[in-house]
Amino acid sequence: MTAIVGTCYHCGAVIPHAAEVLNDKDGERYLFCCRGCHGAWLLITGAGLDDFYRRRDTAAVTMTAPFRSDYGDAALATHVYGIDGVSAIDILIEGVRCAACVWLNERMIARLPGVSDVRVNYATGRARVIFDAGEITPAGIFDRIAELGYVPRPFTRSAVEDAAERERKDLLVRFGTAVFLSMQLMGFSIALYAGFFQGIAPRMKDHLQQISLLVAAPVVFYAGWPFLAGAWRGIRSRAPGMDLLIAVGALSSFIFSAWAAFTGGEVYAETAAMIVTLILAGRLLEHGARRRAASGVERLMTLMPAEARRLGIDGVETVPAFNLSIGNLILVAAGDRFPVDGTITAGTTEVDESPASGEPLPVAKTPGSRVIAGSVNLSGQLEVRVERPARESFIARVARLVDQAQSRRAPIQQMADRVASRFVPLVLFLAATTFVALAVTGTMPGTALMAALSVTLIACPCAMGLATPTAVLAGSGAAASVGAVFRGGDILERLSRITVAAFDKTGTLTEGRPSVVHMSPAAGWCEETLLRLAASVEAGSRHPVGEGIAACARSRGIAFSPCTGSRTVPGAGVLGMVDGRRVLVGNDCFLADEGVLPALAAEEGGEEGILAHVAVDGAYAGTILLADHVRQEAKALAHYLAVRGVRCIVLSGDRQKNAERMAARAGIGEVYGGLSPADKACRVEELRRAGEVVLMVGDGINDAPALAAADVGCAFVGGTDIAVETSDLVLARPDMKLLGTAHALAVRTLGVIRQNLAWAFVYNLVGIPLAMTGRLTPVYAAAAMAVSSLCVIVNSVRLTKVRHG
Amino acid sequence: MDNSIYALIVLSLCLGAGCWLVFLWAVRKGEFDDMERPKHRMLDDDDEEGR
Repeated sequence: MTAIVGTCYHCGAVIPHAAEVLNDKDGERYLFCCRGCHGAWLLITGAGLDDFYRRRDTAAVTMTAPFRSDYGDAALATHVYGIDGVSAIDILIEGVRCAACVWLNERMIARLPGVSDVRVNYATGRARVIFDAGEITPAGIFDRIAELGYVPRPFTRSAVEDAAERERKDLLVRFGTAVFLSMQLMGFSIALYAGFFQGIAPRMKDHLQQISLLVAAPVVFYAGWPFLAGAWRGIRSRAPGMDLLIAVGALSSFIFSAWAAFTGGEVYAETAAMIVTLILAGRLLEHGARRRAASGVERLMTLMPAEARRLGIDGVETVPAFNLSIGNLILVAAGDRFPVDGTITAGTTEVDESPASGEPLPVAKTPGSRVIAGSVNLSGQLEVRVERPARESFIARVARLVDQAQSRRAPIQQMADRVASRFVPLVLFLAATTFVALAVTGTMPGTALMAALSVTLIACPCAMGLATPTAVLAGSGAAASVGAVFRGGDILERLSRITVAAFDKTGTLTEGRPSVVHMSPAAGWCEETLLRLAASVEAGSRHPVGEGIAACARSRGIAFSPCTGSRTVPGAGVLGMVDGRRVLVGNDCFLADEGVLPALAAEEGGEEGILAHVAVDGAYAGTILLADHVRQEAKALAHYLAVRGVRCIVLSGDRQKNAERMAARAGIGEVYGGLSPADKACRVEELRRAGEVVLMVGDGINDAPALAAADVGCAFVGGTDIAVETSDLVLARPDMKLLGTAHALAVRTLGVIRQNLAWAFVYNLVGIPLAMTGRLTPVYAAAAMAVSSLCVIVNSVRLTKVRHG
Repeated sequence: MDNSIYALIVLSLCLGAGCWLVFLWAVRKGEFDDMERPKHRMLDDDDEEGR
């Protein structure tokens, strides 16, 4: 048997040892990491869709799905609805990362008998399948998607999402209307401008002015309604903001124009329309950035299997997990997630509790041990007694914590709003002063009102209204191009203002998987032989320790030997035959049971990491020490933040001592260990109450409530779904340097916003006194407005040049 | 002369209104829901019936 090592042709994963599945086709040899990937490949090539492997963006593909769907027809029935006499179901397909994935799913689902239409939305990864319930069941569709290696989940829109979608469409319609009418207005305005300089028949001028007013009215009062309503809310709550400024600008130029049209002046209806149109464009673009933020809670709930196998009086029955009650006995097979919290009554196993604790090492469980919903049963079949109903399980409790944290988070007032809240009253005061002063000095009330209106017109908020959206767009665009995605414009502003950065330990500050740090071979053994034998036994292992040993051997270029008869003892170790020798790798108890005494006692290395002892043919051969590493860039990031006056702390679910040791390596001194998910969120909220602006960086389900509670939550792609979904800032790769780059960019963006606002302010400082004394006619004011808006846009575009740092 | 200008203004407003109605229809039908997929769709040279 030759050891063929490489990457899986289907999912691109590194194949641990010898390719588990080989397939020769057309003289080429394809490697697969598992039967599932091989099955998916057969299915795809069998359907003549080999193109998928050419089209896809290989770098982006990492599908590690279970290749079977968790859902039965009973669980899916509630998600099916009828359209025009046929059935339809909405499916969220996880793993859709590029256009090729969309293409493959659409083709493969469409070929199922009974399916009449499939549409997969590229942006959201959601599919709507229309099918004939007589020919295919929903579970059949789900199975097909799962066979391809994607994870299908039924999905029902939440009320919040529905509202957001309606708001987006509403904004789009208002913007479209504003654009069409503004284009018409431009035509009339050019005629009027030309008339102003070259002469125009008075009757024609009157008519054109009236038509422009007529056309501008819907723009101000329909398209601009969100601003008018916002302005009114601002007045009523005594918190004037950006909306009020925009409303004042648009209304004053409209009223000014209406007045002028009947008294024979010049009209500036298009100014009112342009203010509304440009700022609607800004709002629409900002809204787009938020789109992908789906409901994280909904995703979290899918960690719990929808169905459970219950031991009833007449054998095993499959029931929806929500129907389980306390005291029920359920069967959980190896590889399955626990549907509820419970206690083991029969069977021993190892459980991956990383969703709950964030710790990567599996925990050994025996009868009497408690298990947590959402964690994975790794090795043996278990009988579990239900201790809590599904809606009270660990996952459900975390989901509630996230919900609460999100609803408590009050929006931070944006800088533009703060500036506007002082600026608006000032402008209104100056306009009133102008009117009173002119009226008292004996000017006609009409002319005085005209001058007062032109003050508000010149204090036009265009530059001010565009100052934030353009800078935020350019800034978040630049951040996205390096791999940091901001969910919404205000996040940039908040990130630039952080005073405390809180980090999760395992998986965030550290790499989250143990790697070999030291080897101590027994007398007569060399490191290389020790590693080769241990790695050969551990080659196929999914245990983090085994993976760490195999990865170390691969990186040293050590060739694996074939291993036969390998057997895993849960919570203890692995044994197998390599080169005709019986090799054991495991903890000291495991070796002691086999009659071997390891030379190194557990305490010596136990503090630092995990010890894996090796024995060959009943004789002790050496010990390998593995430990989790602090990410290389973590220290640089902590230093970068400390220099900028940001306090760094660590919030960990691990023991205080372990957390402190790891934190010290990253150069962080303030450590809080032994925290539950709720404690973490509490700690973040305490800091916020003390007036700090908190950044939380984490990757696990146990970090989700804290991520939601923080001012800025940050997660890596590759962390758990819930962490990514509850975060405001998502990094495209687990690289701490990106966070530094994102922070630097946020600071620069805030700088540009300040410059933009300052510029708009200076423009007003010069313009308003001229208008108050009646020296600046609105024709020039309008031209100056265009120039100042352009300056703001050009200044913002500077942000798109990214400096790495 | 004047009359033809008015006629043209009315005509342009009608044209604009027509475009606007088409736009409204498109928003309602969900044409703007997925801005990424269509640009890839044209590359799907396939034997299957046009979609």
